[in-house]
Amino acid sequence: MPLRKAGEGRADVFRRLVLLSVTNLQAGYGQLQVLWDVSLNVDQGEFVALIGSNGAGKTTTLRTIAGLIRCLDGQVTFLDQNITGKPPHLISRAGLVFITEELNLFEAMTVRDNLLLGAYSSTDRKKVRINLEQVFDLFPILKDRQKQLSGTLSGGERRMLAIGRGMMAEPRLLMVDEPSLGLAPIVVVDVFNALKSLHQLGMTLLLVEQNVNHTLQITDKAYVMEHGRIVLHGSSAELLNNEYLSETYLGRR
Amino acid sequence: MDPETAANLLLTGMLRGGLYVLMAVGLALVFGVMNICHFAHGEYYVLGAYAAYFAFVTYSLNPIVSIIVAALFSFMAGVLTDKLLFYPLRKRSKGDWIINAFLLTAGLSVVLQNVFRLAFGMRYRGITAYWDAAIKILGITVSADRVIAFFIALLAIAAMWIFLQKTNTGRAIRGVSQDEQGALLVGINLDSIHTLTFALGSMLAGLGGASLLSLSPAYPFGGNKPLIASWFVVTIAGLGNVQGAIIGGFIVGLFESFSYYFLGQGWQEVASLSLLILLLLFKPTGLFGTQIKSVWER
Repeated sequence: MPLRKAGEGRADVFRRLVLLSVTNLQAGYGQLQVLWDVSLNVDQGEFVALIGSNGAGKTTTLRTIAGLIRCLDGQVTFLDQNITGKPPHLISRAGLVFITEELNLFEAMTVRDNLLLGAYSSTDRKKVRINLEQVFDLFPILKDRQKQLSGTLSGGERRMLAIGRGMMAEPRLLMVDEPSLGLAPIVVVDVFNALKSLHQLGMTLLLVEQNVNHTLQITDKAYVMEHGRIVLHGSSAELLNNEYLSETYLGRR
Repeated sequence: MDPETAANLLLTGMLRGGLYVLMAVGLALVFGVMNICHFAHGEYYVLGAYAAYFAFVTYSLNPIVSIIVAALFSFMAGVLTDKLLFYPLRKRSKGDWIINAFLLTAGLSVVLQNVFRLAFGMRYRGITAYWDAAIKILGITVSADRVIAFFIALLAIAAMWIFLQKTNTGRAIRGVSQDEQGALLVGINLDSIHTLTFALGSMLAGLGGASLLSLSPAYPFGGNKPLIASWFVVTIAGLGNVQGAIIGGFIVGLFESFSYYFLGQGWQEVASLSLLILLLLFKPTGLFGTQIKSVWER
């Protein structure tokens, strides 16, 4: 899969391409407004984090971008196209792939069938086969278990499968929601390493996480959310040294 | 019981079973993927019968062509039904879905029956036979129509098997039945899949009605028996699962065949219903599986 286009690179500051642009997003569930004026940008090749504690609105933000929640106001632009209010399956086909926290795997299907469905919108059968092999290279455990039902996999393996299925769609931007949730620390390391590898291969990532320390160490820049608003943003390096962040999220004084 | 009688019962059971499977698979598909308790399924059987009748008798088409035309016609009717009836309901409200969808199909059934009555009258539209011949299998003489209907059913079931198991769209149908949000996230258009599923279910019912035209003529209320039979099979096998419906259809066919021999017609129905009651008492999820996870996988 063409993860890095020729001529475009992370160091190419003068031709930075904005893939995703979220502007003044207001969204919520029914009568309850949860997101207030949320704005963020993700450039080509960037690894961006959206961090904050439980209930801050991080998942709601991703779900709204992905089209699963209708927003009340604001705009979401992807690849210069206004995707606000578009149905989720079209947003996925446009190259903005969302991997939910609950994974939404097809439990009664094999690992292989799940991955093949990830490439549902692709018509080129040969490319699908090539992409499948690439996913297996990235996650060898999935190749070993490809004939197994996905419902029988362990937590970390399911997470890998969900990410692999997302990759099968040849995304331009991958949004991942709390991949470390509920996993044993040693498995969390594997998952974060997988995301790091993807990034190194050229994938653009938007990661939602509660694990602030780990996340800031592997990402380029981050947005901090509290009570449905963006309260802080900047490069991850800066934020690691930020006083407010250190006290509130990293427990330092 | 002598072997000849046993063979006879086995044969009758399998022939019946094949057609039960056809109807039950359509129903299982609709319930498994769309969560609709479809009580107008019999009307699509009748639609297929009418279509085949007019193709064969009025337009003098070849029997196989008539059956194919009837199947395509039922498919189109299914497309229309989903787009006009269930799509608006899905858009309007997801709450109380099961009861709402069920009521829609109950109303649809009444409407269709009376449309048939107004359009075609109460006359039975039947034929003596598609193929005026008898076939001898294992020393038993069976009408050609019945045997060919059985093979048509087998062909349709095999095609459905390959479709669901091997093709991209078939896989998508299975996916939608397992996790709708997951399906959306991989780019599947839910509305298209729902329309296709309902159309396939209707097509299978219409195929059944068309194939058995000589044995069950088309008339406005001819849908009741096929409806009850398909619900019986689907309930016994486990609602909304196609593999279960395939096995269940043959089991019911054989069960009816043997119980008819031993108990006579009246008591045969008692036997069938007793089986249903016992099953619902002790294994309400049906014969197969403790939990229906997917429309295809057991």
